[in-house]
Amino acid sequence: MGRDSQFWSRRVIWLALAIATAAFLLVKVKAVMYVSKPARDIYDAIEAVPASKLIVISCSWAPGTIGENGPQTEALIRHCFKAGKRFAIFGFVDPAGPGLGQAIAERCQAQYGRRYGRDWVNWGFNIGGIPMIRGWAKNIPGTIKRDIFRKPITSRPVMAGIKTVRDIGLVIEITPSLSLQTWVDFIYGIYRTPIAYACTGVMGPEAFPFYDAHQIVGVLKGLAGAAEYEQLMGYEGDALKRMPAQSSAHAVVIALIVLGNILYLRARRRGEAPERRLGGS
Amino acid sequence: MRSPLLRLLMWLGVFGAGAYFGIRHHVFAGTLAVWLSAIATLAIYSILYRENVVFRFFEHVLVGLATGYGFYIVITQVLEPKWWNPLALEHKWYWVFALLVAAMFYTVYSKRWSWMNRLAVGTFIGLAAGYGMVGFVTELAPQLKASFKPLWSHSAPYVQANSLLFFITIITVMSYFFFSFEQRHPVVKGSTRLGRWLLMVAFGAIFGNTVMGRMSLLIDRLEFLLHHWLRIFGGA
Repeated sequence: MGRDSQFWSRRVIWLALAIATAAFLLVKVKAVMYVSKPARDIYDAIEAVPASKLIVISCSWAPGTIGENGPQTEALIRHCFKAGKRFAIFGFVDPAGPGLGQAIAERCQAQYGRRYGRDWVNWGFNIGGIPMIRGWAKNIPGTIKRDIFRKPITSRPVMAGIKTVRDIGLVIEITPSLSLQTWVDFIYGIYRTPIAYACTGVMGPEAFPFYDAHQIVGVLKGLAGAAEYEQLMGYEGDALKRMPAQSSAHAVVIALIVLGNILYLRARRRGEAPERRLGGS
Repeated sequence: MRSPLLRLLMWLGVFGAGAYFGIRHHVFAGTLAVWLSAIATLAIYSILYRENVVFRFFEHVLVGLATGYGFYIVITQVLEPKWWNPLALEHKWYWVFALLVAAMFYTVYSKRWSWMNRLAVGTFIGLAAGYGMVGFVTELAPQLKASFKPLWSHSAPYVQANSLLFFITIITVMSYFFFSFEQRHPVVKGSTRLGRWLLMVAFGAIFGNTVMGRMSLLIDRLEFLLHHWLRIFGGA
């Protein structure tokens, strides 16, 4: 294969992917999701949080993964609003996370008649990693001190009765990384506070040892996880709207892998391509 | 003849002034933000064709924005409320020691005082190692326990099949990573070979999930370009 054809074949593949994806964003196709047990478990865990306790939505993501973590955050925030659960947006990994969560919550709150300060609060970004989380567990107002608007968190009605991690009903970690470990090691591991995990697709397989060991109550995996949650909630949000495009892109990728292998085998039969063994040498 | 740098600065000045006026007077703040986002998205995607100046410019803009935003957040949400205010407003003088410890990290640039940097770094490594031990007990021990699944039980056949598959996977993959002796025996060779195949399956699953994630990001940007920027079908 000449250099020119190699140069263009990649561009053609990307163009095919873009067309396959864009086509399903322009044509309305209704996606129906099978709701997996790990997603349903998060739903049940939120429903089970008593009124006296607060839910912590830890936004450890940045604009780079908004395509996956954005719809997850929105679905989870909408559930809290709909079920009338008090919650706090929080961040300790990425400085952009709490701001992104704030924008989503502000956009959705009017639809459910909720108000900042009364029904939810944003603790903002807090630096300090593990020592901060350990201090937070023992003294929440003393560690967080002020919300994202620099007002003392104790002045917000939603914080009434919230002193330590014993007053937290559920922590939901939304992240493209394995920041879940901090919560599992130092919050679930010590205080047995339930933890839920909403991660990007690539982190999904690594979540299941935690789920199998009951260290987390449930998993939302990538855009598909967000779509499952929207289905559970009974509304069509960004995730359900995007799933046909996602499936279409996957079909193109599978077709290209099959085609690539057929071309490779043909070339090998002609002696144009070297034989490869599984797993390297 | 004006230099290219001067011309670039001039255009940036005009662009910046226009953007400031628009945002200040709420004339076209939303539209401006959408257009800026669309231009930035297309500029970054231009790398798919080939390396180019526009891509590199927007790549640097992204790095600069992220750094600036991080710096702003650290000042306004960390240093000011958690260090400066207790020290200066609440007169908690002992917070000055935080500055001294932080300054120890910068002694790495001095041959004479670099031992102070080692003290600070060593303390942090010790802390991290200690936390790692806690993590081993609270995180890995329950996972090890959970990996002991019963092979024979009164549960549904698919649960038993799952447990058997889990058992075979864990034994064969662990045998693959056993390097203390040469793997000559046919049973061990077969086990390591199967372990390697099963690892490939796991890597395939991770790769498949990675593709799913990348496609989600592409869909997000395409949706933005089609619906919010070009306003084709159901635009905002």
